[in-house]
Parts: sequence; structure tokens; C-alpha cells
Amino acid sequence: MSIIQVKGSGKSVAPDRTPFFGVRVPKEIKSMIKPISKIEQDLFRKLLKLLVAALEGNEIEYDDIKRLESESLSEETIVIIYAGFMTLLKSALKHTSLKQEMFVEDLHELQIPEIFHNDLSSVVYGSRRPKIDNFSNEQRPRMTRLDNLKWRVDVAISTSVLNRVLEPSIQMEMTLSDGTIQSFEVPISQFHKLRYNIAFILKEMEDLEKRSILKIKD
Amino acid sequence: MAALMFTNTPSIQKAVSLINNLDNSKVSLLLSRILSKLYVSESRPFSEEEESKLQGALDVSGDDLGLILETLEFFVQQAAYHSAKPQVLASQLKGLEINEDKVDCIVEVWSNGAYEVINRLKSKGLAPKVLEDINWRLNLQLAQSSKVKLKAPNTLIELALKSEDSEQKERIRLDFSHEELYEFYQQLETIQKQLDTLFK
Repeated sequence: MSIIQVKGSGKSVAPDRTPFFGVRVPKEIKSMIKPISKIEQDLFRKLLKLLVAALEGNEIEYDDIKRLESESLSEETIVIIYAGFMTLLKSALKHTSLKQEMFVEDLHELQIPEIFHNDLSSVVYGSRRPKIDNFSNEQRPRMTRLDNLKWRVDVAISTSVLNRVLEPSIQMEMTLSDGTIQSFEVPISQFHKLRYNIAFILKEMEDLEKRSILKIKD
Repeated sequence: MAALMFTNTPSIQKAVSLINNLDNSKVSLLLSRILSKLYVSESRPFSEEEESKLQGALDVSGDDLGLILETLEFFVQQAAYHSAKPQVLASQLKGLEINEDKVDCIVEVWSNGAYEVINRLKSKGLAPKVLEDINWRLNLQLAQSSKVKLKAPNTLIELALKSEDSEQKERIRLDFSHEELYEFYQQLETIQKQLDTLFK
């Protein structure tokens, strides 16, 4: 098998690597390239602050954008740049193992002015990253979760049909993430089954995280 | 167990004399059925049709049959309530002047079925919903719209609840990440520790 390397003229990206934004430059990024040459670092930083806030899950208002408008910079241009950097950052944040040099290399490739590189890197590789990742994780579609579990253990002493029972039973009250509350009894035999199953799944999960059964490479 | 289970009332005396006249094998069969249906449902141990057939087979009147069945049921209800040992039941039945061979029949049926019946009654709860079944599925999340190349295990757990008022089982479906599942497990462990102290 032979590998043919194609080197395009002026392209600095190695052919064996896909840039973080994908094979094609997204149109949001494309449309901002021209306008960004016009903006100052100061304004860029203000814009970046909004972008990071949005990525961390905060609501961005129309007024926040409107405030950045000036005589030389129309609201429309700001929105284009905002959308462009949003797409750029989201594409970079998608990757869990994108190296910083590669990221910067791709920024060059996109012709993003060098004065912005450090600030962009500090979003992707800086201390805000865990918070951004956290928010994007919370956004994944999920089934109902267990929000709260209350329980109690009872020992029945006697019943209408049995003088001495002395049999424990468990009452559980589960509050689910959709707001419903379910109360039910767990007989001892079922409790052992539940505990065994949960322990079994946990073990499987740990094995899954240790072994790379699916040959997923970072 | 010293508790007095039976009082010799006129109606029991009448029932005893009727029972004493029955075949041993028939007493055993009647009692086995009564024991197996004890508190199982609200219905009686024998259907109406069966009862009319029994009248012929045992050669007794409808009222007498009713008395025999109720009395035999009462014997095992009391035996179950006190978790009576066979010899205790035997001596108490003898006190009611039941013939020795009938006492042996009743005690034998009770000894054979007692363990199962008492266990069944022990587990008889009054809760409207009871956990009956657990199903699960383990997944490995590889990507999501905002992330690629993930390796995040998650599990879906389904708890099936038997509900008193409906035939259909209610199902609770829960989504757990590794961390969340571990937290849940810790709570189950706490419950287990409480149970362990009970049986020390």
C-alpha cells in the first residue's frame, strides 16, 4: 500500500490530519474572516467574554451585542463575527484531545489574525474549560434521572394473620428529574437483587473504562 | 407456644363430631386445599360447584359442609397465626375431642405446608406498589452534538412495580452516569448495613 501525499500550495496543515473545524471551512467562519481584520483587540476581548459566558450556559441578551456597536462597526458585522467565533470555538471544544499547536496551526490556516490567537487558546485550553465542558455535558439528551432517594427500613412485628412476623422490608421514595415521585415497597429478596445488579453494572462500567474494548483511540 | 388457640364452643363441638365421621383421606384432601388457599384471595377455597359435589361425596347437608370447611380453615388460621409447632397443634386439637386419627391427618397436613404458608404470610405486605422486577442496559456514549470521541458509560435501569389496583406493571426508567450510579449504590450499601445489624 502506498500513501500519496498531496501538498497544496501555501497550505501549512499536514495532509494526514483533519483540521478541528472539519474538512470544509464552516460558512459562519468563512463569512467573518473579512470583517475581523477591522476589529480591535479590545473589542474582540469584549466579544470573547460574551462568547465564553454563552458557552458556560449564560443567557446572552440582544442588548449585550448592541452595546458593542460603534460608527465603524455595525450591529450586523458584530453578529457575523459573534456567530463565526461561536462556530470556531464550538468546533474546537468538540475535541477532547486537540493539541494546542494544532489548534494554532489551524487558526493560521483560517487566517485569523495572530493577535487573537492567545485569547482564543485561553478559552479552549484555559481554566474556564471544565465549566464549559460541564455545561455541554449537562445539555446532552437524557432520560429521567434519580434526583433524590428517601428510604426506610421496617421490621414487621405482627399482622392480622401472623402473630410474629419479624420480617424486614424497605420503603423507597424516589424523586425523578421530571418531578414525579414514586413510592414503593422493596421486599428483601428484591432488594438483594437490586443491590447485586447495581454492583454488577458498576463493575462492568469500570471494566469498560479500563479496557478499550471498542478500540477507541484518542 | 402456650397460647390457647381454640375454645370449645357449641359450634366447634358440632363441627368436631361431623369431622370425626369423615374419612381420614378426605379430611387430608379438604385441609390441603384450604391451606393452599389460605389468605390467597378473597374467594373461598372451594367453588360453589365443588361444594355441591362435596355434599354428595361426604354425604352431609350444605350447612354441615359449610361448618366443616369453616372450622378446618379456622384450625389452620390459628395454627398459622401462632406459627404453631405440630405437637402443640396436636395437643390442642385433642383437647377439642377430635379423634386421634383425624388429629394426625390435620397435623400432618399442617407440618407439610406450614413453612410455605408462614413464609407467604410473612411477605404479605400492604403497600400498594411493590418492586417486582429489575432490568438494565449498559451503554457507552461515544459522542454527542457538542463533543466527539467520548467514552462515557451510562446505564438505563428499569424498575417494574406491581401495583395493587391495576394489572399493568408501572415502570420507572432511570438514566445513570457512572458517578450517579455509584452514589445510588452507596445508598443501597447503607440500607444493607442496617439490615445486617438486624440479623446479628
